[in-house]
Amino acid sequence: MATSTAPISRRLSISPRAGGWLGFLGLALLAGLTAAILVFARGLILTNLSNGVPWGLWITIDLSAIALGAGAFTLSAVVYLFGLKRLQPIVRLAVFVGFIGYTTALLTLVMDIGRPDRFWHPWVYWNIHSVLWEITWCITIYLAILIVEFLPVIAELKFFDRYPKLRALAHRIHGAAPVLAVLGLLISLLHQSSLGATYGILRSRPIWFKPSMPIMFIISAVAVGPAVTMGVAFVIEWIRRKATVPHDILRLIARASGLALLLYAYIKFWDLAAVTYYGRTPGSDQAFSILRNFTPYGFGFWVGEIVIGILLPVLFFLMPRFNRRPGYLVLGAFLAMVGVVFNRWNVTVSGLVVPLDYAPGVDLSTVLAKPYIPNLTEWAIALGVVGYALTLLTLGVRYLPLFRSPEEGKH
Amino acid sequence: MSQQTPGKKRKQKVRLELTRRDFLTLAATAAGSAVAAQALTTGPLSPFSSFKQSQLAGEEIGGHTTGRHQWGMVINLDTCIGCDYCQRACSATNDVAPEVPWNIVQEAESASGRRYFFSRPCLHCQHAPCVEVCPVQATYVREDGVVIMDYDRCIGCRYCMVACPYDARRFNWGEREDVNAFVPTWGIAEVERRPRGVVEKCTFCVHRIDAGLANGLVPGVDPEATPACVNICPVDARVFGDLKDPESRVAKLIENSATFRLREELGTRPSVYYIPPKEGV
Repeated sequence: MATSTAPISRRLSISPRAGGWLGFLGLALLAGLTAAILVFARGLILTNLSNGVPWGLWITIDLSAIALGAGAFTLSAVVYLFGLKRLQPIVRLAVFVGFIGYTTALLTLVMDIGRPDRFWHPWVYWNIHSVLWEITWCITIYLAILIVEFLPVIAELKFFDRYPKLRALAHRIHGAAPVLAVLGLLISLLHQSSLGATYGILRSRPIWFKPSMPIMFIISAVAVGPAVTMGVAFVIEWIRRKATVPHDILRLIARASGLALLLYAYIKFWDLAAVTYYGRTPGSDQAFSILRNFTPYGFGFWVGEIVIGILLPVLFFLMPRFNRRPGYLVLGAFLAMVGVVFNRWNVTVSGLVVPLDYAPGVDLSTVLAKPYIPNLTEWAIALGVVGYALTLLTLGVRYLPLFRSPEEGKH
Repeated sequence: MSQQTPGKKRKQKVRLELTRRDFLTLAATAAGSAVAAQALTTGPLSPFSSFKQSQLAGEEIGGHTTGRHQWGMVINLDTCIGCDYCQRACSATNDVAPEVPWNIVQEAESASGRRYFFSRPCLHCQHAPCVEVCPVQATYVREDGVVIMDYDRCIGCRYCMVACPYDARRFNWGEREDVNAFVPTWGIAEVERRPRGVVEKCTFCVHRIDAGLANGLVPGVDPEATPACVNICPVDARVFGDLKDPESRVAKLIENSATFRLREELGTRPSVYYIPPKEGV
């Protein structure tokens, strides 16, 4: 590897750091691709998923990627709908990060379904009662919106110098930005919540079945999505050593994100109190005691979701001594992101490892053994899709005019 | 702005001006809300419209399905001896992998400490959570109350497995290459193996019901038209039949004995009824 990249890097004048980064991306994509080919050939039997725990790491990635892409609709709405034009310079990056998040989710989803060749069935065979059907439709439509929102940026590529008419058309689409923002806002609010409802509507699982589920999903997405965009802007600035988005804008986003995280914490607190302290229904009580005794759920919840995902980011985003320093803002965004991943994992896997209580007289502790730890194939795919996301980001930063205002873009 | 001169005008007169435009907007909003409220409470769009008064009032057996029949089962936990024959006959007839059976038999203990056996096919809920959540309608309740899978439509998302309160669904994680050890001792495979990547479940041996009815047989009475698990039970712990026919054995059993259904509080309305052991569950 090293012997082959050295001469190329000299010819293309790629710094060793960039070479290492590209090497890492290549390896991640290779690992993912290898695992994907194996899974397509032999099926999901290669995973550690089972009839007891049919959803796992990949669903966690889906849910997380979509939540982390929420910066696109939030910031678009803030700029084009609520008239906070100040934030305009970050919208392009937000839409791009959103696009990466949504395509990452779709990529993982195609791996996760048993019949990838039938991915188009939800578009043809409708079940309007199914939240998953609604989510599929929303994600499809929203991805189309993201692409249309992003067309003007792509049209600014040098390549389109030859096609001025196409470029003019793409810029005319930019005029529709407010309409797209309204549509994007509605559809995003719907499906980001529905992802929580996917679990929240299931009567059979007492620790899922609660109305707070969609609310917690949407609020965490709105809180963390923009923060991720903010963090990405800073990191790009460090790497390119060139200003991206004005820092006061980024700090404003961090502060808003901190406040939204506080709101999320507040709702989480009441949810916890209602379910465990005041509620004490036999079903959820039993589920929590099983989780406490047999899984690291408590650690994941208190350390992963609360301390890493909420407490530290809130401190970094809201306390002036931290939020004046970009390092803390990026760290906060990263921790908040980790917190969301922890949360989506906890929700998915914890709900599934608790055995269903339907058989009278059957001792649940004898049917319990349903642990789930993702295996190498699942991790390889995970690495592959993360590699995909980072590759797209790298390419975008290198080749797309992400940090030019549309006014500059018009020739 | 009015804040700039706070001292001068102590009392600012607030005048309520209602232009024609404002009036029309308000009137339209009010009328629209009224129509929406009406539509949401009683109209066809209403989330409550699926509750018919009869369903709210209580449940008569088989009141829900639109067809002439509603196939159902009564399982007598008092007589079941836990021989596993139902599981084996089912696995042979439907060519189910023996280690992931559709039909399960488990040991259970009553509150008073006496052992009994609990067995469970798919319960064929009339208000089935799996049917509700399937994004492509690959699983549905037939007119005769049987919940079946369309293996050609299923995309393998497994949401139905997550939603089923009774753990009745199985996924084909890989292509099956095993030789079914229960064939031919416990029966001959009557249906095709399911392909890789789709969900499967107990069908009440729907192929037998359909073929039997076409030949003038009565499911639950004629063995050719009756699920394999019912035919093979050596102690007659499983009884199958039409819940809508008051003369059927299932209807009579339900009428004459104390029965219960699994997790009735979930509102799933299963078609499988249980007769508890004498000392209770």
